[in-house]
Amino acid sequence: MPLDIQIKKSLDAARFDAVTVELTGSLDTATAPELERQLAPVLDTPVTDLIFDLAGLEFISSAGLRVFANARKTLKARSGQAAFVNMRPQIQEVFEIIKSLPGVGIFKSFAEMDEYLAARQARHKGGA
Amino acid sequence: MKSLELQAIPEEVMHCVDQLRAYGREHGIDDKALFGLSLALEECGANIVHHACGGQAHEKFRVSFQRTADAVVIELRDRGPAFDPTSAAARELDDADGERPPGGWGIHLVRHYMDEVHYAREGGENVLRLVKRLQSATT
Repeated sequence: MPLDIQIKKSLDAARFDAVTVELTGSLDTATAPELERQLAPVLDTPVTDLIFDLAGLEFISSAGLRVFANARKTLKARSGQAAFVNMRPQIQEVFEIIKSLPGVGIFKSFAEMDEYLAARQARHKGGA
Repeated sequence: MKSLELQAIPEEVMHCVDQLRAYGREHGIDDKALFGLSLALEECGANIVHHACGGQAHEKFRVSFQRTADAVVIELRDRGPAFDPTSAAARELDDADGERPPGGWGIHLVRHYMDEVHYAREGGENVLRLVKRLQSATT
């Protein structure tokens, strides 16, 4: 199963200047390096917020989670964040398992889009 | 039983996972169990490619899978240096500082989705045996 990667600058006003990355298929040991390659130029821009839309993602392994963790780390260093939305139950379970490991602070904030957007909106207003 | 000999590259690991999915569907394994089996095979196969075979594409490893009356058994064999991923995992997790992704995530996922994970060194080979028991077993 291949991985399709669509990187879009969001036109939705509520999402401000966040970049959305839509993933469809399988994020695994064979496809994770390609996602990493395509994310690198995005992370080189001043973007602070990435939204990973996982509606079409059918499979993920630790190789994929590492790419997410590295992206999140880069964004966090510039006070941004990565959000993960529309996860299928099986994908969400994989996130939950890793999140529950002792000492792993990485995916604490992966959840609710509403919460994420509210925080973004508050930050946007505060900064205006 | 299905047996495959594979080159030590990530694409071959995923080829093997595709074969497992097809085998599982043929043998009436439900999607949830098959997801866990696929993930466990991917993690263990990737581990062999990166560690046991050191990223050397000419190295080979072997995988077999079999549905028994009440379980699916996956066996992975490689001729790399002796390496027991089941004992390495705890150490790597201990090193985690909360931000750096530790290498132990993979084996942790394998343990979660499988009912048994056995490692043995047999005749110069690493042998990893994964067992997933099926809940509504039919013969």
